[in-house]
Amino acid sequence: VTAAPHGVLAVTHGVALVGLDARPVRIECAVGAGLPGLRLTGLPDAAIREAGDRVRTAFQRQRLAWPQERVVVNLAPADLPKAGTGFDLPLAIAVLAATRQVPVEALRGTWAVGELGLDGGVRAVPGLLPAAVGARDAGAHRLLVAPRAAPEAALAAGLEVLPVADLADVVALLRGDRPVDAAAPAAATTERSVDDLRDVRGQLIARRAIELAAAGGHHLLLAGPPGCGKSMLARRLHGLLPTLRPEEALEVAAVHSLAGERAPDDPLSLTPPFREPHHSVSAAGLIGGGSGVPRPGELALAHRGVLLLDELLETPRFVLDALRQPLERGEVRLTRSRASVRYPSAVLLVAATNPCPCGHLGSPTRSCRCRPDRIERYRARLSGPLLDRIDLQVEVRPVTREELAGPPDGEDTATVAGRVEAARAAAAERWQGPSLNRDVPPTVLRRTCRARAVRSLARAADALGLSARAFDRSLRVARTAADLSGHPDVDVEHVEEALAYRLADPVPSA
Amino acid sequence: VSADHQLKQAVAAVAAEGTDPDALSAVLGWLVRPQRSAEGLRRRCLEDPHDAPPPERLRRAAGRVDATLGGALLPVVRAWHDRDVRVAVLGDPGYPRRLAAGWPDLEAPPLLAWRGRPVDDRPTVAIVGARRATGYGTGVAAWLAEEVARAGVRVVSGGALGIDAAAHRAAVEEPGGTAVVLGCGHAVDYPRPHATRGRLFDQVVEAGGTIASELLPWQLPRPGSVRARNRIVAALADVVVVVEGGEHSGALLTASAAADRGVPVLAVPGDVRAPGSAASHKLLAEGAGPCTSPGDVLDVLPMSVATVPADATAVATAGATGDRTSHGPSAGTAEVAAPIGPLPPVVHLALVRAWPRPLRVDELAAASGCPPAQLLAALTRARVAGVIAEGVDGVRLRRSPVAGRPATPDDGVDVAGPPDPAPTPGT
Repeated sequence: VTAAPHGVLAVTHGVALVGLDARPVRIECAVGAGLPGLRLTGLPDAAIREAGDRVRTAFQRQRLAWPQERVVVNLAPADLPKAGTGFDLPLAIAVLAATRQVPVEALRGTWAVGELGLDGGVRAVPGLLPAAVGARDAGAHRLLVAPRAAPEAALAAGLEVLPVADLADVVALLRGDRPVDAAAPAAATTERSVDDLRDVRGQLIARRAIELAAAGGHHLLLAGPPGCGKSMLARRLHGLLPTLRPEEALEVAAVHSLAGERAPDDPLSLTPPFREPHHSVSAAGLIGGGSGVPRPGELALAHRGVLLLDELLETPRFVLDALRQPLERGEVRLTRSRASVRYPSAVLLVAATNPCPCGHLGSPTRSCRCRPDRIERYRARLSGPLLDRIDLQVEVRPVTREELAGPPDGEDTATVAGRVEAARAAAAERWQGPSLNRDVPPTVLRRTCRARAVRSLARAADALGLSARAFDRSLRVARTAADLSGHPDVDVEHVEEALAYRLADPVPSA
Repeated sequence: VSADHQLKQAVAAVAAEGTDPDALSAVLGWLVRPQRSAEGLRRRCLEDPHDAPPPERLRRAAGRVDATLGGALLPVVRAWHDRDVRVAVLGDPGYPRRLAAGWPDLEAPPLLAWRGRPVDDRPTVAIVGARRATGYGTGVAAWLAEEVARAGVRVVSGGALGIDAAAHRAAVEEPGGTAVVLGCGHAVDYPRPHATRGRLFDQVVEAGGTIASELLPWQLPRPGSVRARNRIVAALADVVVVVEGGEHSGALLTASAAADRGVPVLAVPGDVRAPGSAASHKLLAEGAGPCTSPGDVLDVLPMSVATVPADATAVATAGATGDRTSHGPSAGTAEVAAPIGPLPPVVHLALVRAWPRPLRVDELAAASGCPPAQLLAALTRARVAGVIAEGVDGVRLRRSPVAGRPATPDDGVDVAGPPDPAPTPGT
């Protein structure tokens, strides 16, 4: 093997992830006169600067020639912050081409993402799926990745994903010595939890509420004493959500891939995610954060699925307030000094809370020991902007012993899920897209309401003292109730039902 | 018996026979032979309403048409016919039973001409008041009317501007529907904003309501005829609610006509300084019941819905007729008698049984078997109508089901028992 003559320039591509945004990075390598050594330019971070050492050692271990000249590698565009170890592989390929160990022409349309071990082995990096999608969209024809990560990367349809185990594989592939089969995309699975609605005893109102929540995507607040089955209901609600469409599953997998929450060889799950962070979660943990480029939080990880916040009122107010905008927009926007990123957060929020600090207010068997002013303050934390985004608010009572002993008395998940799917289909057809009633503006909603329904809502709002936001909330839920019963127009009965899903301030029964 | 009276009855009977003007003139001749007295006609109608003249007899009678009388009556018949007005004389099957109940002492009209559906025996509330009404008055009238009409109760009033119109409008699309009693004939466009084509009166007819009048088509509204109209409004109602009215309001006449018939009168309190509420306060001072919510109206209505038409009952028991009939034991309760009100019978019964203990909504759903969606809708209705009270420990009826009710919690099971054998309200 001889050193390449001066002036040979090799170009390949890698991918830099800014949040879920994949930006192409052009990797240029030139070998020329000078003291032997590797110089990296183009705003590389520490992990990339270390790449030089890893790549050089990998070359030696794989018995590939490292040029005894000066090697300059430029990562362009220089102003794009680049981080992580995914540039090892394209960097090595650029050096291989610049030193003519592989033909430069073989690099056209060939992108690579992967970390190199000192032994020359290729390893998977987090965020491969969004990286592969970004590479495809930027014009890559084929993508070289670690074998273990290949099924995940191959989910980006239209991209030839070639698994390479080590640098020797890379050389053989690029020289055309040995054909490599393109990886097949990861198989899709729809693993469902075994929690069935049929196991829920009693709880008729809450059952109806989760049906509405699943059908319209409405956020749900469950208030009830400890042990009354709030999180059990949330899990049943998760079971009612329709299976993800492939493109939705990809969105979900992309976030999970980026956060390192899924192994790269995991099958593609079509099950909506279910996230249940502890109530001590920090704002950064919930909505995402971190210095440099912010990472996705629980909200983004629950995208297209259910986010259960138990003991809602134990979570600090400012953490809850941080939820507001993401819930409204369906995406989290995070801005840090080095980057501004967006993560999708179209979640169905299920919030659970005790009715009072001790949890026994309104319980038939236990007496509440809270002072009235404490209850008032406790509830006051519930009110406010976040509560306005929660369309469905129901009280859950503990199941009685008779109900527990009795036979299963309700419908099973499959039956209710069938209605939910039909209602979602009706809504999608009406709104001309996969929109949920949760996201439709009130003015548009109102066009599908019978005049007497709106009149009745207006008068009820007067009589019951509803705010304008509660008015809109009821309109949204009424739309879903109509969809569930197969009515094209919202009628009085739907509005009336919707009005019942709010936590009224308890007035002493006089 | 005056000639006018006889004329009216004759025309009424004629119009009731059919709609073909030529055939009508034939019938006319048969009916108005001089020897036929009005009293005889009445007896025939009352005692044997099915003794209608057979067609061949009518054809023969056509030859004996009295030219003078026929000439005078034909335009009347045509005027009604052109407006799809049907007519019944006292004693006809189509003549409202509750209107006939007090005849002749209370001057029941000898004929009633109406557009739309005939006035049946369903529970009825009269909501009356001044034409010059305040926003408060029309608001309350609409609130009361819509809520009680939704519970299957008909709202009757005088079709005037102001309170009357607010009540009609609010009830027109609801299951209970509405009936207008005009103070003029059907061919007179009065009051013009309502009588104009496509406006309130047409809407009432279209929605299955009734526009009724005791007058011949071209009779103009006069103070006397409007007063006479008020007595019909009172006679058609199970309870009269006076919303707003001045010191000499016609609503007071309706109230006294109601009092004469033993129909309860309620009055809506207003601003004590407002002259527009003088009638209400006068009635309150004289012992009328205060009306502060639709629940007050529903409370004085008769307990049984045995006489409510099937469609109204279906609404009252929406749970039973929902798409998930197999879901609860409420199926088939449409035939069961129940209180008039926004609550389905099964729900009401559960609350009566629990009274005075409140029930949590979940318990109520389990106890009544009413599907949650319908139950929650009914509770909202009841909340707005003010018939239930809510607390941290659940809901209960706002008033004792014992006081002022034919049923008590002890024998209260009877509210869902078989229909009352004598279900004619207002008697």
